[in-house]
Amino acid sequence: MTWAWRVLLWAGGAAGLWWLKGTLGLFVVNLLLVYVVVAVGLNVLMGFTGQISAGHAGFLAVGAYVAALVGQHAPGLGVGWALLAAGTVSAVLGVVIGLPALRLAGFYIAMATLAFGVVVSEAILQLDAWTGGADGMYVLAPTWFGVSLETDEQKFWLVLAVAVLTVVTASNLARSKVGRALTALRESGVAAECVGISTPFYRTLAFVVSAFYTGMAGALFAYVVSYISPDAFSIELSIDFVAMVILGGMGSIGGSILGAALLTVLDQYLAAFQDFRALIFGLAVVVCMIALPNGLQGLFRAAGARLRG
Amino acid sequence: MRRAMGWLGVLAAGILGLAPLAGAETGVTDDTILVGTSQSFSGPLVFPGTEEVAGMEAYLEYVNANGGIHGRKIKWKWYDDGYKPQNAVANMKRLVEQDKVFAVLINQGTSPVLAVVPYLEQKKVPLFFPFQGSSRLHGKKYVFTSYTYYDTQTQIVTRWLLEKKGFERIGIIYQDDAYGKFFLGTLKKELEAKGLTVAAAESVKRGATDVSPQVAKMAAAGLDACLLALVPGPGAQVLKEAAKIGWKKTKLISSGPLTDEKFLILSGGVGEGVWGLSLWPDPVNSPLPAMKEYRDILKKYRPGHEPNRYNLYGYFYTKLFCDGLEAAGRNLTRDGLIAAMESMGRRENGIINPASFGPDDHQAQDDGFMVEVQGGRFVPISGWLAVRNGKLVETPLQR
Amino acid sequence: MFWQLVVSGLATGCIYALVALGLTLIYKATEHVNFAQGEMAMVGAFLGYTLYTDLHLPVSMAVAGAVVLSGVVGLVIQFVVIRPAADQPHFNVFIITMGLSIVLRSLAGLVWSHDEFPFPGLFPVRPVTFGPVVVTPLNLGTIAVAVGIMAGLFAFFRYTRHGVAMRAVCERPEAAQLMGVEVRRVFAAVWVLSAAVSGLAGALIAPVLNLSTHMGAVVIPAFAAAILGGWGSFPGAIAGGMALGVIENLAGGYLAGQIKNMVPFLVVLGVLVVRPQGFLGEKEIRKV
Repeated sequence: MTWAWRVLLWAGGAAGLWWLKGTLGLFVVNLLLVYVVVAVGLNVLMGFTGQISAGHAGFLAVGAYVAALVGQHAPGLGVGWALLAAGTVSAVLGVVIGLPALRLAGFYIAMATLAFGVVVSEAILQLDAWTGGADGMYVLAPTWFGVSLETDEQKFWLVLAVAVLTVVTASNLARSKVGRALTALRESGVAAECVGISTPFYRTLAFVVSAFYTGMAGALFAYVVSYISPDAFSIELSIDFVAMVILGGMGSIGGSILGAALLTVLDQYLAAFQDFRALIFGLAVVVCMIALPNGLQGLFRAAGARLRG
Repeated sequence: MRRAMGWLGVLAAGILGLAPLAGAETGVTDDTILVGTSQSFSGPLVFPGTEEVAGMEAYLEYVNANGGIHGRKIKWKWYDDGYKPQNAVANMKRLVEQDKVFAVLINQGTSPVLAVVPYLEQKKVPLFFPFQGSSRLHGKKYVFTSYTYYDTQTQIVTRWLLEKKGFERIGIIYQDDAYGKFFLGTLKKELEAKGLTVAAAESVKRGATDVSPQVAKMAAAGLDACLLALVPGPGAQVLKEAAKIGWKKTKLISSGPLTDEKFLILSGGVGEGVWGLSLWPDPVNSPLPAMKEYRDILKKYRPGHEPNRYNLYGYFYTKLFCDGLEAAGRNLTRDGLIAAMESMGRRENGIINPASFGPDDHQAQDDGFMVEVQGGRFVPISGWLAVRNGKLVETPLQR
Repeated sequence: MFWQLVVSGLATGCIYALVALGLTLIYKATEHVNFAQGEMAMVGAFLGYTLYTDLHLPVSMAVAGAVVLSGVVGLVIQFVVIRPAADQPHFNVFIITMGLSIVLRSLAGLVWSHDEFPFPGLFPVRPVTFGPVVVTPLNLGTIAVAVGIMAGLFAFFRYTRHGVAMRAVCERPEAAQLMGVEVRRVFAAVWVLSAAVSGLAGALIAPVLNLSTHMGAVVIPAFAAAILGGWGSFPGAIAGGMALGVIENLAGGYLAGQIKNMVPFLVVLGVLVVRPQGFLGEKEIRKV
């Protein structure tokens, strides 16, 4: 990709966010960027290893509650440390789920991760002394070198910074030795092992990286919404994340960004349609998937190819 | 002379009409008031949500058809949040920052409501009558709450059972969420204050498939009474399961939200003799004139909706909101409306006890009455019950 | 209490088993996972309800009609939504069926409202006592019908020409095509069969759970059941469903607090760790 092309893409993204701020508000922009981080993180797992996770809302919840608890019990701690804590706890759970998942294939992993999501929700309800149970908990604003990030605008810069960092590190990962190893494993596990790529190591690693990103996104989610409860992290949300990645195009980071953006904008825009919101949303997903077998990135790639002749 | 007075009147009206233009309140124009809400048009509480909205819209259309309030028609903007707190916040910010509503009217559910309250308080946008019973909203300047808090409901039922019925062994089957937990927690406190304990407690997950384990355990616990802090579907399952295994020794008692005609319809006639705490007169059969008016207005403006307790809620509290607008006068501001509400005094509404608010009291209802299921209907078996100054008090029902 | 819990657990488990069977049918034939299976059961039950209340058919006829109409719904879905995407990766089809489940749920809400309705049982609910166990004919009937359907499906796959053709397509689509089996027609037939079985499951569970648009959530335990029993195995789906129903009830009966809601999922996780292919699943062997 040429530099000009890349600048154009970033500029397009910025323009899109600007437009969105005007139509649906800055809060929705922030939420969208959080979901971009999740989708890019989930794509590390799904795109590189071909494994589906139906429980990423669980990792999101873990990150959100860690950040909320850190904010409550260590109020002076900077936002960077809080994000790191959220990502790390989530990543540790990623190991816990990733190790048994090594032995599993295809939809068995979907089940294992789905079960993980359910167990996380139940655990939040169960640990109500810390989490407030079904009542949920309010989240204190994060602090950045002593400055409390209270407004949507301040939070926007935080979320944007993390989102950009996520996208950059994930694309570097894709081009690194690790990324190539993961791709080789997806294409053919046995063949990859023959050239010395350790399946257990790399598959667990994919889980851990994915969980880390999603845990960080969870912290951002908690800051952006300022209130969290188990109702926010349903199975439905996990499936929405999978839809973002697949609709964007599995394995493509740009696709994941587009998928997260499209589904979030659609969902928020349709809120005004009341009873018909779900119907239109569902129809849109079905039609988009049938029309775009390679996802949104396929569409863009085709358009790019035509532009260049 | 009369003519001159007339011109003066026109002039005065002109000045008054212009006055709001000068310092116009957000969401209020010369001839409209914009209200908004975020509701469950999808998700687990879609039925209560859409019914509340039907009651709200029916009353608002009725008001608009009769000239509006102080010459202003009420316009509205509703968004779907699917019972997700993050979407509720998104909707609320859109209502306040982009649509610029005057006030927020009747949203729903513990999480979506709790999620938006700090924001509305910060923006000083009044929130009227969210459909939820958590006492965590008590004492907020910009929030007016509706029905008897869940903890108060539990106090009323428990004290009535202990003091009037002499029951001692009381258990509870509760829904595994904020709603059920409120009943469980208060029941524990109330019984402990009397030196008793909760004899048995079982939870039911929202959308559970089978309640037979819970019913089997409760039946084996030898209770005098068992509270049901559930919603109609699982509540009806409990009744059916109890009938199946012949569990008759224990009085089953429905919580306020469960005392709903749907609960009886779904249980298929096995509910005879069940007690419950009711917050409303029977929406379908009540002969009270104000209830007839409600059914007529609902039928006229939302003919597809049968009377039920959710659209009665939407209707009643929208009416109360409009009474407040009426009292606030032509020069409408948010703070003026709040002040008007607080000084409205006890005003008869013909449906429940008069709601009265004050600077420290933003709750519309704090009482309820006990009912028994007789012939497939909830029939009152007590007067209005409330806990005031720590004592259970009873006042006669209006007929 | 133990046996009481086991019997009612089996009754619920049968419903999971039927929906899991529907999932497995589609998976075996097309390798697609149908997330809308629960919504298909829900729509089937609503169709039966309409036949019962609006056309005043007797319950048994209404349920039979629901099964047939569900089959039609399955055919329409296969034709309109699945066939155009048949060559896409399986994950894509999974997301399509996810969208489909939302569409079916909200359509049902627009047609029948999101209210809950009492659904007439195919069997009476007057209880019968066997020693310490109280059961309703509804419980027993549900188990009997489910077992009957399962036996019927086995016979169909083993002894009828269509059944054998379907199995052939499931095992080796290309080979079956070469042998003169119309693969596309078989795929359609599988969806019809799967939808009909789910519709029956819906009509059987509705008297217990009450009929509402939220009934489609049964797909989650059904999926768990199919995985528990061994993904892609018919006997596995049935065993998994029964086991899950009983586990849920026993956990509810003997464990305190909210742990009991986690237990079924912890059991599934545990089984997957110990035996990644489920109870009765076959180990997959992949070529390089």
